[in-house]
Amino acid sequence: MRRFFSVCGGLLGSVLLAPPPGAAAQTAAPADTLPARRWHAPHHLVGQFAGGQGLITAGVGYRLNRNRLDLDLLAGYVPRRYSITPMGIFTAKATFMPWTVPLGPRGWAVRPLALGGYLSYTASKGLNATQDGKYPSGYYWWSAHGRVGGFLGGRIAYPLPAKRPGAAPRLVSLYYELGTNDLYLASWWGNPRGLSPLDVATLGVGLKLDL
Amino acid sequence: MKNPFSLPSVRRRWGGWAAGLAALVLLTSCELFEFSPNQTHTPEAYRDLTRKNLEALLARPNPLGDDSLRFVFISDSQRFYDEAAAFVRSVNQQPGVAFVALGGDVSDFGLVREMRWVHDRLRHLNVPYLTVIGNHDHVANGRQAYQNVYGPLNYSFTYAGTRFICLDTNGREYGFNGRVPDVDWLRAQLADSAGVTQQVVLCHVPPEDADFDPQLQAPYVQALGEAPMLALHLNGHRHSFGISNPFELHVPFINSYGFEKRQYVMLTMGRTGGFRLQTVPY
Repeated sequence: MRRFFSVCGGLLGSVLLAPPPGAAAQTAAPADTLPARRWHAPHHLVGQFAGGQGLITAGVGYRLNRNRLDLDLLAGYVPRRYSITPMGIFTAKATFMPWTVPLGPRGWAVRPLALGGYLSYTASKGLNATQDGKYPSGYYWWSAHGRVGGFLGGRIAYPLPAKRPGAAPRLVSLYYELGTNDLYLASWWGNPRGLSPLDVATLGVGLKLDL
Repeated sequence: MKNPFSLPSVRRRWGGWAAGLAALVLLTSCELFEFSPNQTHTPEAYRDLTRKNLEALLARPNPLGDDSLRFVFISDSQRFYDEAAAFVRSVNQQPGVAFVALGGDVSDFGLVREMRWVHDRLRHLNVPYLTVIGNHDHVANGRQAYQNVYGPLNYSFTYAGTRFICLDTNGREYGFNGRVPDVDWLRAQLADSAGVTQQVVLCHVPPEDADFDPQLQAPYVQALGEAPMLALHLNGHRHSFGISNPFELHVPFINSYGFEKRQYVMLTMGRTGGFRLQTVPY
């Protein structure tokens, strides 16, 4: 990473006045050294299994806050076998990982703690809505379509060979999320003895691949 | 430097991932891996419970012999898991009970996991329990979840000469489409009196409630009124106990307690008519 920035800095330092290194790489790198990366170009691809966000979920994400915060946008699918009609689950997720622990010389690294939250919307023709014209207002307090969830997790990352010499290594990481959602939490809230935290827990695992 | 893409190297590098992936596939049976809270799929132990409980009931001789039939009636277990455990302990101490009737709203959010939580408690009953669908069980994918976990929305069974007719009366959940409850099905069940000395209707929303399809109130009540063997009309939904005769029929309408009231109704029906009603705190 540092080598990458020093190369860019050497090339561009005389042209731009104290640019932030990322911005320099994005805006002014000559076409033959680095492809221009648009501000909205995602930083990684995501594929996930379960975790309340679909049987199979795919999406893109961004790294912020010096790689400690991931923001991911995901689309999940649950086939008809598990539903009345197939479900599409659209999730916006934030994951905060305060620490990185390097593992040995090959570049493996563990992020032992991840704290996250998500908002999701489930689209499915067969889903019986809770807040439509069938009911007087306030009949049910929750939405059948919208969910809010939170999770604890972690990940392990391995660096792939960089696309070109001197470029930042791309990481492929395997992560897990042990989470719950608003409806499970509401159930647990009223029954702290009757339900254990594991009763209301969901598990998801996924892969992220840096672009 | 060794070629990083040589086969042994690749195998070393990816073998661990592949093993992890294989372990993951094996783990897909693990309950924690949930695709959606609205998924309707459930393990075999939580499937077809109505059929399984009916088989268990019909295999048991009536604990009170030929004279009478005793059962416990309660409703609305939704989100009252602490209470459900206490309920089970109390019912298991009652002598002569043949089964427990649960008048709907097994779940609060129509989630399959909630139905599993309820079953995890009620399976410790010494007697089988039978349910009818409530409006909360219809929410989201709940209708399918209920059908997977319990079974049909309308069904009937005969035990100790008494026919129990359990039906879906949650008309509002269908947008008052004029088809729920299925009055024709109810009439057919009430007319079929072979081997039956009396009949009981079990439902969730009673016909006098605003959540009952108003188009069907008159035909439903008429069907009940024209059934001479009908002895009781049982419902949940209102969470508080009550016994009334809102349509001045020959049949008393009994509202059950919700689980949170920590009381249940115990009914003992005489073989030749008449019944005794006790309310039991737990």
